[in-house]
Amino acid sequence: MFERFTQDARSAVVDAQQVARELHSPRIDTRHLLVALVAARPGVHDTAHPGIYDTLRAVGLDPDDVAARARTAIVGDDPLDRAALASLGIDLDAVRAATDAFFGPGSLDAAQNRGPARAHLPFAPDAKKALELSLREAMRLREKSIGARHLLLGILRADSPGGRVLDGACVDAGVDLTALRTALDQAERAA
Amino acid sequence: MDDTSTLVGAAAGADPEQGLRAVRALRELADRLETLQVRRARQLGWSWEHIAAALGVSKQAAHKKHRKA
Repeated sequence: MFERFTQDARSAVVDAQQVARELHSPRIDTRHLLVALVAARPGVHDTAHPGIYDTLRAVGLDPDDVAARARTAIVGDDPLDRAALASLGIDLDAVRAATDAFFGPGSLDAAQNRGPARAHLPFAPDAKKALELSLREAMRLREKSIGARHLLLGILRADSPGGRVLDGACVDAGVDLTALRTALDQAERAA
Repeated sequence: MDDTSTLVGAAAGADPEQGLRAVRALRELADRLETLQVRRARQLGWSWEHIAAALGVSKQAAHKKHRKA
């Protein structure tokens, strides 16, 4: 399936991995994909399409706010709560520095899976589902390749944590989710 | 330590929500450190008896929890 991804969609997956590492997540879920996707600008070879960033703005959503919401949701789910540990006098950053040095970079995060630190973080089931659905979205729109926009449509279709973040942002901004879907569909058709 | 009241608050549970979150985070941290330390001990050739004794648990418990690590 990945061979059908456009450069933009590939970049989003790579960026999502980076977001997951940055936030010390054990897996890439739809919220990490969402953070990566909402920042997407038109690609070099894709200038006929507005980027997702501009599409969100056009329907009245603030892409930076969506990304911030997704990050907050991810951090809120982390069982290794930095603030809670600080309330017990434990400096998580100091512990992490020690485990990075002694057991290898990222070892404390990887230990959540009981596995060794890996070169690539695995996808969570919701992200796998969204990736599958992005293929279906591309087929529905009669597109040969899977673009960043199809990924976002896949996340919305998947009833996933990332989709719920986007849904919440729409509700608070008074944006109809259907309008967003339509804008994403039409951005594709305009090409 | 300026944080003492916070520390006591979280630990003694002035706000149960905060206190419970702290306990969960502490357990999570302990679990992860245990995973890392047990794996290293195994790599260094430690027996399950030896690891279990150091952790203060039975050999069966240590093996069951960490054999896949």
